[in-house]
Amino acid sequence: MWSRLTYTFRETGASLRRNVTLTVAAILTSAVSLFLVGGTFLVQRGFDNLLSKWAGGVQMIVYVNPTATPDQIDSIRQALSANPTVVDVGKLDYFDKARSLAEAKRLFAADPGAFALLNDNNIPTEFKIVPKSGKLDLLVQLANSFRTDIPQVQKVVLARDQVEQISKLRDFVQTVTVGLSILLLIGALILIWTTIRTAMFARRREIEVMKLVGATNWFIRIPFMLEGLIQGLVGGLLSCGFLLFFNRLWTNGVVKLKGDNGFIALVVSNSFLNGVMLGVVVFGMVAGAIASGVAASRFLDV
Amino acid sequence: MIRLENVTKIYNSEVTALRDATFEVNKGEFVFLVGPSGSGKSTLLRMMNRQERPEKGEVWVAGRNINEMPDSKVPHLRRNIGNIFQDYKLLLNKTVHENVAFALEVIGRPKHVIRQQVPAVMDLVGLTGKQDRFPHQLSGGEQQRVSIARAFVNRPLILLADEPTGNLDPGTGEGIMRLLDRINKTGTTVVMATHDQRIVNMMRKRVIQMDRGIIVRDQARGVYE
Repeated sequence: MWSRLTYTFRETGASLRRNVTLTVAAILTSAVSLFLVGGTFLVQRGFDNLLSKWAGGVQMIVYVNPTATPDQIDSIRQALSANPTVVDVGKLDYFDKARSLAEAKRLFAADPGAFALLNDNNIPTEFKIVPKSGKLDLLVQLANSFRTDIPQVQKVVLARDQVEQISKLRDFVQTVTVGLSILLLIGALILIWTTIRTAMFARRREIEVMKLVGATNWFIRIPFMLEGLIQGLVGGLLSCGFLLFFNRLWTNGVVKLKGDNGFIALVVSNSFLNGVMLGVVVFGMVAGAIASGVAASRFLDV
Repeated sequence: MIRLENVTKIYNSEVTALRDATFEVNKGEFVFLVGPSGSGKSTLLRMMNRQERPEKGEVWVAGRNINEMPDSKVPHLRRNIGNIFQDYKLLLNKTVHENVAFALEVIGRPKHVIRQQVPAVMDLVGLTGKQDRFPHQLSGGEQQRVSIARAFVNRPLILLADEPTGNLDPGTGEGIMRLLDRINKTGTTVVMATHDQRIVNMMRKRVIQMDRGIIVRDQARGVYE
């Protein structure tokens, strides 16, 4: 067992050293493609965050002052329910302080300082309103009347133009990043394949001897698979570096946009970033090992 | 030990390399396969360790029909068969010791077995003291001895030799034959393809003569003709 392990690592190391140029090319390509894969997830998540408060067809949000009494909140609910032709009453949803705080925590992931300023005494609660279809004009009128006529309403926000544009932008960005990452992933896999093929060609005599003295195909294949796995691992780690760097750049940029524009939600939480980084590293390792394993099997019939 | 029954091998569905070959080699026998180039000697050898499979017929080795054997069992078959080639097939970036140890290493033999068996086989082939040299620092005869050591270090039941003296001068070739004879006397079955007339006549072993894929003569204690 031990001699097999030392053999495997020795052969893998020798092969990586022998093939430096191709190895570097394969690692860099996989790094860039994995970076794009990870980037796609981050961008997607940012847009989802931004749109999450509008999820489920919500078109209007009524923010209620934190000082409102339960009776006052109830009268706002009644005022909304009194317009069943405009408001889909069945989908009317009220976010109390606990739910509003939970939502804020997600949206302010990038700005813990700002989130720390929020508490039960100052966070507004929210009514989320899904309109009856085709009643958007009436919804605008309703919003205007709530802004002026109903006590304890802090503000009324309409999704209208903003959400649709953001959705379109998200779809466009997603198409481009997914398309590019697929192309580059294919490129990376072809390069790993070529590296293994070249490595096997350089060692064809050795492989022939190994087969003749009775080495199993797995024994021959495993150092090559390990080589592909290492290429995927290093590529994945590099892509994590890129992801960290660009995410920080992005976060700093978004945080500077401070103000009440809601764009702070474009920033993703560190836990999500860590999950994506772990994902690309594991994906890189598995894809590298499998591509090499398949390439090795393809050329084992010497 | 080895039995071929009506074996026919056709390359690219037009070149017939072997036609209806039938013979048996007993345990501990020494057999020469003779005949001109292209007569099918190497194809016969390649049938015996399943580098080739026949279109028709059966090849039995150590009691098993190796054509029916699943691919996963072939490595285990080959651990019982040593191979020697005209061009030695040594790994040039490895020392003599590493070349021989390699054959044990890649079938997962533990280190202490390698440490024990490699020097013993070096002694047998007469290369003690040269284990740290690289192949290019050895003569042709010495390189062939390394190749024999590698083939024999795992104590196989069968040794297949394809023109082992083809690249050597007559004196050196005789030395190699004496070595193969010694190995044969340990009980190892040896099948050797050659067109070295002098050596066949000197050894007086069983001779199977091939011509255009057909066995034309099978003679005990034969000569080349």
